[in-house]
Amino acid sequence: MTMPGSGASQGATPVLECRDLRKSFGDRVAVDRVGFSIAAGETYGLLGPNGAGKTTCISMICGILARDGGTVTVAGAPVDVGTPAAKAAIGYVPQDLAIYPDLTARENLAFFARLYGLTGADARARITDVLEVVGLTDRAGDRTDQYSGGMKRRLNIAIGLLHRPQLLVLDEPTVGVDPQSRNAILESVEALGREGMAILYTTHYMEEAERLCHRVGIIDTGKIRAEGTRRELVALIGQRDKVKLSATGDLGAAAEALVREPGVADATANESGLELIVDDARGSLPRLLQTAADAGLAVTTVEVVEPDLESVFLHLTGRALRD
Amino acid sequence: MRAALAIAAKDLRQRMRDRSAIVMAVIAPFALAAVFSVLMPSGGNEFTARYVIIDDDGGPIATAFIDGPMAALADPETGMAELVEVASEAEAREQVEAGELDAAVLIPEGFSDAVLAGGGAELTIVGNADATLGTEVARAVSTAFMDELASIRLSVAAVLHAEGGTPDPAHAAELAERAQLATAPLTLVGALADSRQLGATTFYAASMAIFFLFFTAQFGALSLLGERRGGTLPRLVAAPIAPWTIVAGKALGSFVLAAVSMAVLVVSSTLLLGASWGDPLAVAILVLGAVVAAMGLTALITTLSRTEEQAGAWNSIAAVTLAILGGAFFPLARGPEILQQVSLLTPHSWFLRGISDLGPAGTGIETVLPSIGALFAIGLVTGAVGLARAGRLAVAR
Repeated sequence: MTMPGSGASQGATPVLECRDLRKSFGDRVAVDRVGFSIAAGETYGLLGPNGAGKTTCISMICGILARDGGTVTVAGAPVDVGTPAAKAAIGYVPQDLAIYPDLTARENLAFFARLYGLTGADARARITDVLEVVGLTDRAGDRTDQYSGGMKRRLNIAIGLLHRPQLLVLDEPTVGVDPQSRNAILESVEALGREGMAILYTTHYMEEAERLCHRVGIIDTGKIRAEGTRRELVALIGQRDKVKLSATGDLGAAAEALVREPGVADATANESGLELIVDDARGSLPRLLQTAADAGLAVTTVEVVEPDLESVFLHLTGRALRD
Repeated sequence: MRAALAIAAKDLRQRMRDRSAIVMAVIAPFALAAVFSVLMPSGGNEFTARYVIIDDDGGPIATAFIDGPMAALADPETGMAELVEVASEAEAREQVEAGELDAAVLIPEGFSDAVLAGGGAELTIVGNADATLGTEVARAVSTAFMDELASIRLSVAAVLHAEGGTPDPAHAAELAERAQLATAPLTLVGALADSRQLGATTFYAASMAIFFLFFTAQFGALSLLGERRGGTLPRLVAAPIAPWTIVAGKALGSFVLAAVSMAVLVVSSTLLLGASWGDPLAVAILVLGAVVAAMGLTALITTLSRTEEQAGAWNSIAAVTLAILGGAFFPLARGPEILQQVSLLTPHSWFLRGISDLGPAGTGIETVLPSIGALFAIGLVTGAVGLARAGRLAVAR
């Protein structure tokens, strides 16, 4: 699995910049000096297990929760609980469903549109647009207590998109939804990122972070333990890709030929074939297979094992993401 | 302000979809007021007691009592009482016990002589157990008359003592007559009848209206807890609106629902049940005062609670307790003095007192200013604390 390219963040003016965020509840430190920035068109993932401090971070960024320290700037304006105007640049999609079950989807959207200053034809047009984006146009007139869990999640996201925010904050938007709805949600997020929206996405699903996020901050016990692209994070812990070849032929000679290839750190023959340690398995695979064939090897299967963010998290914290 | 209006409109839309709100705000109080007013012995809007007077004395004091305050009660203009005649004390007691009469006033032989001699004299009131209001009126009138006699005797004794020498009976009688003329015994009785006694329909329409008002007025504060439970409160706080706007929207929605439900009750009970509320402007301001008081108290109680369920339970307990203490279920005049004092702490008491003070005679707003002041004071004091706490609820710390 690969992450999107990281070009969006290079040299661009950050839409979100938070520094040194701190929050304690009594003696418990929930967030401890967290800081990161997100550029326009960039999707930044906060990856961590439940209770890591992701939602507390988001609550402070969105001006819902008063912080103990630190600064948050969105689109150049400082954000706090008492700064309503600055919040207009943020689209907030909370982890818990924040919709009214006794209102229809359209009524829910119309209500939140008014809170964001959208009225009349502009509001109606935006409601139509976001219903289309999340695929709820046909059910817009139904009360939301008649919706499936996935439909409610999609409406939850639609409300956050109503006012065309510069920063979209999604707090675990796929928790508890079926695979089909999850895929629809992820596709929507990918499309929004392509349109240039800055997106802050929290999740404890490693595969979502890898699919959506240009950069990932690994958060645990309130602290950012590491930050960067997947490759940067993997490199940080010194792990490389692994290529397993099932093959017949002169395994020893093939191993000697392959280990001389650039980017190959090690090649070991075993009972069923060869195991290679390489820097970039996907990039170098065609060349490696050609070298193996030149060495007289008949390759029957190829398996590429890339170290993932789960491995990084395990390495950094000593426990799994879902612990 | 636009955001507050949007929140209020959204809340009202939700409440209208929840039919239990309409039942609680209008249908239940109206139905109960109708049922209670039908069940009242006097039935209609006018209070009329049936009394019999057994005069075994026949003396001047007994005659003065019968022709004075008791006759005033039976005056067609006041219509407070109907005086009936029976053959004997035994028959009077029998009819009172059977509920045919509210009370019998028994004047024993030698009553006038005892009064004139300055000795102890007694009137006996035999009341029907189920007609406590009628009995209470007879007792109050009799007590007022006896108090008047005592004051006359005291006045005569004081003059004779000041003049010195042996009292001349003719002079004493002249003094007594002058003292009697100087008093206005019927004023007290008239005041009781005209301004403190509501008809059954009006009383129960007003009492049920304010009783259920406490269930209607709480919804704004409760819905704030509901937004928190339902997860929508963080989304409201994340919107580009000031946190106080959320509280203002909740309060506005609650106010509109409570005020409209009270207005519907006043109009419907007038048109359909024949209730007589009094001067419309004064009633309107009393209703607004009651709404503010109910909102303030329920906001305070709700914001002291941790959950919606807990707040609902506490508000219900408060609504019933305040209604009992405030005389919404029975007239406080029948209760002990301490209860009447405690009732002054309740909006119910002040509201009902205000409606009573307006009375059927069409007295104006100046008559009910104390009630209006008390209602707004209760509402503003408790509401200020409640709103401050609600503001803190809206923003997590």
